[in-house]
Amino acid sequence: MTESAPPAAAPTSIEALFGARTALIVDDAITEDRAAAVRARVEAAGYQRYRLYDRGSYEVVGDPLVPYLLADLTALAVARTGRALAPVTARVLRLGPGDYLLGHHDVVHDDHPLELVLDLSPAAVAGAEVHYRRRGQIFFQVPSAPRSLALVERGPTVTSHHTYVSKLAPTASVVRLIALLRDLPVNRRR
Amino acid sequence: MWRLPPSGLDEAALAAAWRAATPFPHLVLDDVIDPAALEALMAIVDDEPVERYQGEIFVFDATAPEPTTAAFRALRDDFAAALAPALTRITGKPVTRVDMRGFAYGPGHYLLPHTDHQVELGRALAYACYLPTPAPPVGGELELFRCVHDGEALTATEPALTIGPRANRLAVFDVSVVSLHQVREVLAGLRISLAGWFYP
Repeated sequence: MTESAPPAAAPTSIEALFGARTALIVDDAITEDRAAAVRARVEAAGYQRYRLYDRGSYEVVGDPLVPYLLADLTALAVARTGRALAPVTARVLRLGPGDYLLGHHDVVHDDHPLELVLDLSPAAVAGAEVHYRRRGQIFFQVPSAPRSLALVERGPTVTSHHTYVSKLAPTASVVRLIALLRDLPVNRRR
Repeated sequence: MWRLPPSGLDEAALAAAWRAATPFPHLVLDDVIDPAALEALMAIVDDEPVERYQGEIFVFDATAPEPTTAAFRALRDDFAAALAPALTRITGKPVTRVDMRGFAYGPGHYLLPHTDHQVELGRALAYACYLPTPAPPVGGELELFRCVHDGEALTATEPALTIGPRANRLAVFDVSVVSLHQVREVLAGLRISLAGWFYP
């Protein structure tokens, strides 16, 4: 007679089935100097203010042109998830006092891409978070932590929003690189 | 307790003001509560339990959606009985009943832009009645936005009007797909109000 580990409990709900999907934070994902350099580069590219107030109020650079940074972050994501991934979109958001980005402004994905959120902010901003919801329930909160990288698997029932930045901190500046990675086709994997 | 129209105003003038208001129909009326009744009203509000409510677009302290004390329910029903007939004539929207909650916005509290419009809820008119406060708020204005549509698509929004939360002031506005509004963040002090919607 041999001993063996008991069988894993079968998932009993849809939430349990999907509970193991990637949602993690990597601290100190880049150096302070590199974060400052990226901020300067994006600033030079020129932010555009988004003003459909029922959806969001923030500044955005749609194509931040940071290929080396994206390559490094993608490599980190590949190492952490074991998936063969490649970036498909990237943008940088900047939120100041009074800014926010609501969930119904978010794009819902039919597949399961990986979203990266790199915190490029010069300093932490209390209460400035990214919340991920699955079927309306918050399952992951990304706090304000400069130089941290959040990796979150998206999906058909996942939405996110960026919380309101209080005017009580008049110098607050939240800068986030948001990138979407998708699995490489099999014939492009190394 | 309630005075609509307030002294010096008539319904015809208010109806004209309602129709002419931009960015969408609204009224701002001062001194709608008899000053002699304010103390009793504040006592009723003070007795109603308050909890913190926090969501994607709001943080504030408020009473429950359904009042817990008989006095607060009576306050709500008296408000409806006193205002609904006049508001029906002024706005052209038939309203009969109302819901009411007490709200307390302290520093850092806000309600981000939204329209209140949800067909299934039947909200016809929204209102906020600002009450005296021991610390008049800095911020906390009701802000109305102008919406520009291209067919069904919303293509632009812009701040159009701010209404200060002056004590004994009633703000009433139309509820529709364009009634985009927010409560700006309170930066100091305390903003106390009764608010809710009128229904057919």
